[in-house]
Amino acid sequence: MRFNEKELLCISKQPSEKAAELGMRGPKKGDVVKRRLVKLVINFLFYFRTDDEEPAGALLLEQCKVEKEEPTAFSVAFLDESEKKYLFECESSEQCQEWVESLTRASYESMRRSLIFYRSEIHKLTGKVSYLLFVLLFFF
Amino acid sequence: MKPKSDKMKLNERSVVHYATCDSPADKTGHLYKKGERNTAYHRRWFVLKGNMLFYFEDKESKEPIGVIVLEGCTVELCESMEEYAFAVKFSCAKSRTYKMAAESQASMESWVKALSRASFDYMRLVVHELEKQLEEMQTLHSLPGTAHSHRKSSGRAKSKSISAAAPAVVTPAKEPQATYNRSHEETVHFTPTSKENGVAWDKPNLVVNGLCPTYQGSKTLPGKSCSNEGAKPPPVPPRRKTATGGVTSTLESPVSPGTVCFSKLHDWYGKEIAALRTQWQQDQ
Repeated sequence: MRFNEKELLCISKQPSEKAAELGMRGPKKGDVVKRRLVKLVINFLFYFRTDDEEPAGALLLEQCKVEKEEPTAFSVAFLDESEKKYLFECESSEQCQEWVESLTRASYESMRRSLIFYRSEIHKLTGKVSYLLFVLLFFF
Repeated sequence: MKPKSDKMKLNERSVVHYATCDSPADKTGHLYKKGERNTAYHRRWFVLKGNMLFYFEDKESKEPIGVIVLEGCTVELCESMEEYAFAVKFSCAKSRTYKMAAESQASMESWVKALSRASFDYMRLVVHELEKQLEEMQTLHSLPGTAHSHRKSSGRAKSKSISAAAPAVVTPAKEPQATYNRSHEETVHFTPTSKENGVAWDKPNLVVNGLCPTYQGSKTLPGKSCSNEGAKPPPVPPRRKTATGGVTSTLESPVSPGTVCFSKLHDWYGKEIAALRTQWQQDQ
């Protein structure tokens, strides 16, 4: 499948929400843990080999599941192959927790859900307020 | 050191899955796309999901030919031999301009609008604005003991205070009880507002003064998991459930009934109005 690599490279150089050097292991059998600079930008998780300017790869964080695996490690798995997990090793459980939280919120789909939720809450509140105004008018 | 010639890896299989799964598309339809090398326009089936624009050979294709990541793009109408032409441009160096053409004026306008709003950053801005709006409204119209000010106990539960000065911001993303292995597979269906190809969902204009005009809410939104396991509601924050786990009734106190039960709401407002009237009469 073709994709516009240049634009993705451009995105990878933008300021990130979160970046850290983590241990990273690919999902395939035989993959081993390697040190990578992992960088979250919008809904992409980029990973760089140490000292490389351009990322070795990117993961689009849609239709994925982020789970804490151990106190200091989390995994990212995609729903089409949920047994195949990318594993990330952190320095501390706080760092691990932060990454899990950030990545869980990092998808466009997750923002869409938030949007629907906020609109619904606003609608409920405005519904309430309108009723109060109506009653006030009626009594006075 | 990575040789410069190595192409960046992408989790392609999963991206293809995202393109073809049941998660809601923001827009779909036929467009003509100008080829990279040859100058002919090819008719393709386009699917816009979030900030990803997928294109397929035709509507029945199982896999997309390609995807255009739309982040940071600008969409312009362009002078072209083709009617209803527009271009998707990027600001980064040596980037390719995607020249497209729609099949009608309406289609072109609709696509230009959808693609202009397709970025993650734009969506983030909209969500942030709504969050602020909700905060403001909760502060202004904060009613005593509203359900919104309750958080599921996690060591920082507030007591059911009657204080009107305790607005709590409803933020589903910061839910302390959220299970972090909650998958992203739960998707949401909503009433389509734009009908092109029967697909969902007008992104809102930023409304600063209050209501979101395109909202078509319903109290429960049916959802569908991507693997078609049946309808599931979207993850509503736990505080909205009763102790017995029912979803429809919200937390209630004698002072502030949940908003779902209209007659209770009516009674409660009635009492409040009566109290206000008495006070007003006394002030005369």
